[in-house]
Amino acid sequence: MCKGISILKARLKQELFEQYELSQRIVTRGAGAQEEVHFMYPGAPPIELPVLHDGQLVIYEWGNRNNKACKLPNTGWCRIESLEAGKWRWLSPEKVVIPADFGLEKSVWFQINEGMEGVLVHDEQLRPHVYMMTQPASHYYQTMTRHDRMPILVGQEI
Amino acid sequence: MIGHVDADCFYVSAERVRFPHLRSMPVGVLGNHGACIIAKSYEMKAAGVSTGMPIWDATPICPQAVYVKRDFRWYEALSRRMLALVQEVSPRVEFYSIDEQFFAALEPTDGFARQLQNNLLTRVGVPVSIGIAPTKTLAKLISDSSKPFGYGVVADDRQRRALLHNRPVTDITGIAKRSAMHLAAHGIETCDQFARADRAFIRWLLTKRGEDLWWELNGTPVIPVQAVRPKHKFVSRGGSIGRASCDPARVQAFVVRNVERLVEALMHYKVCCDQLTLSLSFTDRPERSLRSSLLGSRADFEALLEAALHLLPQVWQPSSAAVHYMHVIAGCLRPLAHRQMSLFEQPQLHDVKHRINNAVGRFALRSGSTLPLVDVYGDAANEYDICDIYGKSCF
Ligand SMILES: [Mg+2]
Repeated sequence: MCKGISILKARLKQELFEQYELSQRIVTRGAGAQEEVHFMYPGAPPIELPVLHDGQLVIYEWGNRNNKACKLPNTGWCRIESLEAGKWRWLSPEKVVIPADFGLEKSVWFQINEGMEGVLVHDEQLRPHVYMMTQPASHYYQTMTRHDRMPILVGQEI
Repeated sequence: MIGHVDADCFYVSAERVRFPHLRSMPVGVLGNHGACIIAKSYEMKAAGVSTGMPIWDATPICPQAVYVKRDFRWYEALSRRMLALVQEVSPRVEFYSIDEQFFAALEPTDGFARQLQNNLLTRVGVPVSIGIAPTKTLAKLISDSSKPFGYGVVADDRQRRALLHNRPVTDITGIAKRSAMHLAAHGIETCDQFARADRAFIRWLLTKRGEDLWWELNGTPVIPVQAVRPKHKFVSRGGSIGRASCDPARVQAFVVRNVERLVEALMHYKVCCDQLTLSLSFTDRPERSLRSSLLGSRADFEALLEAALHLLPQVWQPSSAAVHYMHVIAGCLRPLAHRQMSLFEQPQLHDVKHRINNAVGRFALRSGSTLPLVDVYGDAANEYDICDIYGKSCF
């Protein structure tokens, strides 16, 4: 799985920072290193993710975290097996890309070249939610993170 | 004078060439299995992470680090660019290792070293350290001690003595732990003590290799810059087979894989062999190896595989032992051009395989006996083994 992502601050438009109060998410890994914006699932709400939708980089809610009033699956991830088995069909899911430069799993940050696949669905109020797609982890990913599911990276195999 | 160029944390620097945002952050390059750190940035080193450390030991001491999977194909491409650039400024260059070159330095000055360093940084993107001295050993000692991104020239005796002063003998390439222990037993612990010791005594203690280093440290070149790789006595392919295995199908599949790699290497060096050796290491037993003579000089997959599979059950004794490492070694090498073709060879089949793999990718067409290794071939990173990068004079 992957419980957090990081995107370079330079990839996000200035308006997004004001609209979504992203400045509190800015982090660096050392003196002189580029600034990043972190999005964590277990972090403080709101739980969000950057999404490439219709050619625009936007910010949507990440899955459904414990909102009982919402009918959407109560998780942040979508197994590709269940998507392919048609279990998400009632939500009319749409494939999107979650742009990212690093992913986080069990305190390991790993390099992401472009981003990962996600599915976009809408709740009863027609608000967009994005779920990160997962697949069985490769041997490499499993050793590195000790997790048996991994994101589907765009144009990259690890 | 001889120059030595050595890239600083090469694998990490290579990743930073294509992913510039990795600059100034702690970066670790992981081996194929995702377990061990095979290279690290200076930021990661500063946090206390060492090369070879498993990732689960490194994350607690450097939680902000980011990890990248190794990509030897990319590292080799950059290595060739480095080599080509050094060849522009020197008539004689030795491709010593993937990120190091020795070269004949026509202009042994700080200005020249600085300019070469800048050229490599701006045109290849890789930071290097450079040493220039009368001998290879001194030049390498300078670049090693100037890291990161330093350079230095030893042009006279005063500079040479300053370089050796109080430097541990283990800093010298070629003085391993064992030699250092022998030397320490006789009160020799630093480079300057080594250089001032009696030459005959060093030869007695460390044989001719030690004496060569003595001359070199004292400024007399005895180890030449080898622009052409020396002719091989053996060509070997193999290594770890991953998790140790008692499974005959899996071990045999690795034999097939390594014979395919060996044939590739023989083709590259344009040699064939009269002998083939198979060597196996087991988890809890001594290593065993056996040699087989071939019918004439061969470099074709079928003949070498037949010999290797003939040796396998004889070397694998007892058959209950778990195989951990394996090598297939071609010996008694001859130039391919001088060889008599056997009546049973099928050059067409080999040519077709070679052409397809060149066009589509390594191992795209390979023996069906490698099928038990779907995990190995399914992982693109396994297509590349570091020793399959040709032309280096040192591994
Ligand atoms: Mg180096």
